[in-house]
Amino acid sequence: MTVINVTLPLELIKDINDYSKIINDILKHDISFNVLKFSIISSGVTLLLDVPDDKIEIITEALEENNAIINKKGRVKIDFENCIDCGACVALCPTDALYMNSENRLEYTEERCMACLLCVDSCPRSAIKEE
Amino acid sequence: MTKTYAEINEKIKNGNVVVVTAEEMIKIVEEKGITVAAEEVDIVTTGTFGPMCSSGAFLNFGHADPPIKYEHLWLNEVHAYHGNAAADCYIGCTRMADVRPFEYGGGHVIEDLVAGKPIRIRGNSYTTDCYPLAEVDTELTIKDLNQAILCNPRNAYQRYVCAVNSSDRTLYTYMGKLLPRFGNAHFAGAGALNPLTNDPDYETIGIGTRIFLGGGIGYIMGEGTQHSPKSRFGTLFLKGDLKQMTSEYLKGVTYPKYGTSMFVGVGIPIPILNEGLAKKTAISDNEVLTDVVDYGIPRRDRPILRQVSYKELKSGFVELNGKFIKCSSLSSIFYARKIAETLKKWIKNGEFLLNPPAETLSTETICKPLKQISELKFVKDLKKKAIICYDDCDIKIVAEKIIQNNMNHIVITNRAKILLGIVTSFDITKALAQNKTELKEIITKRVVTASDNDPIEIAARKMRNNNISALPVIDDNKKVVGIITSEELM
Repeated sequence: MTVINVTLPLELIKDINDYSKIINDILKHDISFNVLKFSIISSGVTLLLDVPDDKIEIITEALEENNAIINKKGRVKIDFENCIDCGACVALCPTDALYMNSENRLEYTEERCMACLLCVDSCPRSAIKEE
Repeated sequence: MTKTYAEINEKIKNGNVVVVTAEEMIKIVEEKGITVAAEEVDIVTTGTFGPMCSSGAFLNFGHADPPIKYEHLWLNEVHAYHGNAAADCYIGCTRMADVRPFEYGGGHVIEDLVAGKPIRIRGNSYTTDCYPLAEVDTELTIKDLNQAILCNPRNAYQRYVCAVNSSDRTLYTYMGKLLPRFGNAHFAGAGALNPLTNDPDYETIGIGTRIFLGGGIGYIMGEGTQHSPKSRFGTLFLKGDLKQMTSEYLKGVTYPKYGTSMFVGVGIPIPILNEGLAKKTAISDNEVLTDVVDYGIPRRDRPILRQVSYKELKSGFVELNGKFIKCSSLSSIFYARKIAETLKKWIKNGEFLLNPPAETLSTETICKPLKQISELKFVKDLKKKAIICYDDCDIKIVAEKIIQNNMNHIVITNRAKILLGIVTSFDITKALAQNKTELKEIITKRVVTASDNDPIEIAARKMRNNNISALPVIDDNKKVVGIITSEELM
């Protein structure tokens, strides 16, 4: 699964109908995906979608036809060879994708990562990279 | 009940010594009581593994032919200090590489050396009659050095604070990345496993104490710099032979936008000479208290928000004003435990003997702040009157005010003088060029501000970092009380 960051510009979605049209346009391709985050900002609506790797092209096309702006954003990857189990990343992770196990070793549940990337520049061993 | 160092060492040699870690001691005292625990347990081992910025190493390279007395010296492009005899240097872990600052530093050089990797040595000299060589550029490993001595003036803080950030921007500090508006909390140290926490009156810790250092054997040289026993912020001055250490317990690190440092593994054995020490080494995370400190206030005396126990810190959340803030450690609890376990194993195997210190650490030392000769100036001392326009004002009036007052910055407020934005002479010029006529089209709403009690240096740094030349001065209610511009700072 890959996380993509979609912005639906304000001009594009004046009401719920415009929004539904765009989403239905994607759904008609019969793809299931997760909406990790939905937020309304001054420039429009931003969505963080978790999409199966082989469906990215179809979804990207459907969104672009609707003039949505797409930013591919990867989940993070942890280089455990370099990790020293300190925990400098843990309190920054809003979804507990990064956490300490009962032995106080760092664990990473990739599915929970929503690619906010807050942790990337927190690692003292530079062991967190955007995928 | 009392024991002596000699009796304990005899037990180590005979293989019947009882050693437990500081975490195990808690349970033993809980179950058996202090008297029995003091009789049964001979040694309690401790450990900590965290960023210790006051760390570095003395290295001796041996003489070149012809000989050189280094004036400047770089190890893997990290500048080393050379103010000693010809072939000695000190490499400090916070010194960053000239070519890759914030990525690689002195701590990484030490880690690479200990790992056996080759290090590039580059040096130059003004030359003398006895040291005629002007330049050296060579590669060597730790085996090629005569001495490699880890020498850390301030390590193993007894406890450390928990850092949070009340400001409205992300801070990059030696306490890691602190999110705005109390977005997260970070702490350091291993709590009940911390060496000095287990012997807070320094009965057994002092000059010459043999310890675990960086995976090898080290010694305490005395109290560390800024040792502050009365506030329970004791520190240690440590040394050890780098050649015996392992890179598992010496890790170069870099904190983005702060700089480099080094994780150092330290473990100290506490001999249970009496019941008092049995009680002290049974201290739990619940009893080790520290302060939650606001790093959003950039002053030496940062506001203390509350007291907190290491138990709460290790729980993953810290409560602040009724809210639970996600909290994590900057030190590795896993490795702290591994160090206490390793030291325990060494002692059990008869590989590590205890020794009484030549002198115990001071319990009286006071840590003073820097004596500054120049008086600290604040924004309130240098601010001037802000030229204010209300938000319904015509652009032309704003332009007139700029000319009348010879001011580049006009502060925009509502009628109650609450800050709404700022307009500069450049914004007016731009409006003219782009045919914009409404004030709201050209106003900058995200304004970087100062307050009366900010030191001038802090205001200057805000201007420098944001590439701007003025800051409106506001009070706690966002009411504009003046302006400070780069002119006042010159």
